[in-house]
Amino acid sequence: MKKIDKEVADRYFRERTRNIIIYFIVWFLVSFGVVFFAEPLSQYSINGFPLHYFMGAQGAVITFIILLFVNAKLSDNVDKKYGIDESKNEQISSGKVFEH
Amino acid sequence: MDTQFLVSLTIILATFALYIGIAIYNKAKATSDFYVAGRGVPPIFNGMAIGADWMSAASFIGMAGTIMLLGYDGLAYIMGWTGGYLLLTFLLAPQLRKYGRYTVPEFIGDRFDSHTARVIAAVITIIISFTYSIGQLSGSGVVIGRLFEIDAKLGTMIGVVLIAFYAAFGGMKGITWTQVAQYIILIIAYLIPVIFMSLQITGNPMPWLSYGELVGKMGELDRELGISEYFAPFTNGTKWQFLALMFTLMAGTAGLPHVIVRFYTVSTMKAARWSGAWALLFIGLLYLSAPAYAAFSRFILMTKVAGSKISELPAWTKTWVDTGKLQVADGNGDGILQWSELVISNDIVVMATPEIANLGVFVIGLVAAGAMAAALSTAGGLMIAISSSFAHDIYYRVLKPNSTEKKRLSVARWSIVIATLFAGLIALNPPGAITQIVAWAFALATGTFFPALVLGVWWKRSNAKGVIAGLLVGLGVTLTYIFAAKYGGFTILGIIDTGAGVFGAAAAFLTNIIVSLSTEAPSQKIQEEVIDLRYPEQMVYKNGEVWMNDGTKEL
Repeated sequence: MKKIDKEVADRYFRERTRNIIIYFIVWFLVSFGVVFFAEPLSQYSINGFPLHYFMGAQGAVITFIILLFVNAKLSDNVDKKYGIDESKNEQISSGKVFEH
Repeated sequence: MDTQFLVSLTIILATFALYIGIAIYNKAKATSDFYVAGRGVPPIFNGMAIGADWMSAASFIGMAGTIMLLGYDGLAYIMGWTGGYLLLTFLLAPQLRKYGRYTVPEFIGDRFDSHTARVIAAVITIIISFTYSIGQLSGSGVVIGRLFEIDAKLGTMIGVVLIAFYAAFGGMKGITWTQVAQYIILIIAYLIPVIFMSLQITGNPMPWLSYGELVGKMGELDRELGISEYFAPFTNGTKWQFLALMFTLMAGTAGLPHVIVRFYTVSTMKAARWSGAWALLFIGLLYLSAPAYAAFSRFILMTKVAGSKISELPAWTKTWVDTGKLQVADGNGDGILQWSELVISNDIVVMATPEIANLGVFVIGLVAAGAMAAALSTAGGLMIAISSSFAHDIYYRVLKPNSTEKKRLSVARWSIVIATLFAGLIALNPPGAITQIVAWAFALATGTFFPALVLGVWWKRSNAKGVIAGLLVGLGVTLTYIFAAKYGGFTILGIIDTGAGVFGAAAAFLTNIIVSLSTEAPSQKIQEEVIDLRYPEQMVYKNGEVWMNDGTKEL
């Protein structure tokens, strides 16, 4: 075990948290935001769909999928930056499972 | 016994044989390396398994029909059932994985160090999974009813026997690979009819790109008929109901015990993040296609079926009328079936459309097999959630900690059989459409587990008294609102029973926070365990310091 600077550990947590807050803002805008303004948005159309319908049926879902993959990839990068080794994680977590 | 019956039955039996074969093959192999570390299911396959577990009869059979009948308002289900994966993967799944327990009640019991909280969580798990399984059983009733051309009620009874048997005997084994197969079957079964219909109607094999035009065209047809346009927003409820339903479905996704459990089977927090991403990609494939399915079905019904003579209706109408889910009555007696005289239940649109569009016996049989895969895989997961809550969390950890492995297993099996029979009894007279029943299960999860888990993982000050009060108040408010809205006609801002979770969640968050703050803080050890969840496995929080586990001992 090696002690990590409190400041470094805090920075790790802040960086991860900041990303997640950004994802949630996008998530909120494409779903709740679009529904809230559905009537004005219905004047525009995309690929034959009225815009509000397109966002509900396709746009929002595609955005969600992209956000999840971006999170998975960027979280890996953050872990790497702080020297986290996934094979160590696997060892630790398989040893830690609560056995009955 | 016509050709259709034989083809459908053969395909269903062949897929069943495949699932059972996979289960047996994997069991035999798994015993040898059961305790070998680091051999979790790869995230991409775990994603498929989550997809099969997740996509139930409601998604497969009910959703396209719901969208067809509700138009834009039905899209709350599409966004709600996909957007919830962000809450789950960002806020809960990796952290719960790091905590390392087997069930949701176990996390709540140990995190808050309280047997009372554990038992309440176990009872709520049973209530939620039970409600959800009513929807699955009435879904399998629709499929079996059509297959044997009998009443959907009789079909439900056959489904009950099948599911009780499947879950009690097959479900206890390592079912992940079976679910991978079930995912593949159900997605193929769903996509083929949509692609065929797209080719038939628009000449384009990509339904996702081609149905936009149709949506606009149907708007015109609706205007001619003098009904509200297909895509017009908020025609079946207020904007607030749409938002509340969407929130309820999202937060419920993050709080459903049988879905969370799947993330315990991956190896690490990183694997949990990737599993969540793959799962939504696989789930998205069906959810992006459901509105297309709905649009094609509605277009065919409007242009090819409505307007034909009652006496010359095709054969498929009779078989569906027999199941009690379709009505064709010549209301004005002119001998012609008008659009308004065709009453179709949400729950048969997916099953009936391949017949209506004349896609051939093979496709129709495949859709039946896909629907059974969806109902069985989810019912299996639900029944295991019920039995583990009872046999593991209540019976073993609270009532009889000294019971033998064998005794616990038989308690688990019997709880599955009893729960299935009881759910089947209610499913005989389903209190709502499949999607609606399932939405109640989500409302309950939103009002109970979502606040309890989010606060339990992210707020170290939340304590046992807070979580107990929060769970009970959330459950009470949600149940009261569902009953008051459904049977008493009571609504706030036009929010009906399916959006009840928004009130339950608000009440539960508030109660949990207020009670926690006005009672003593949790022990130092528990608070440290909660902060520890912020970091990956290799980083350990202890005594106010963060340590990096680099293989050397000593702390």
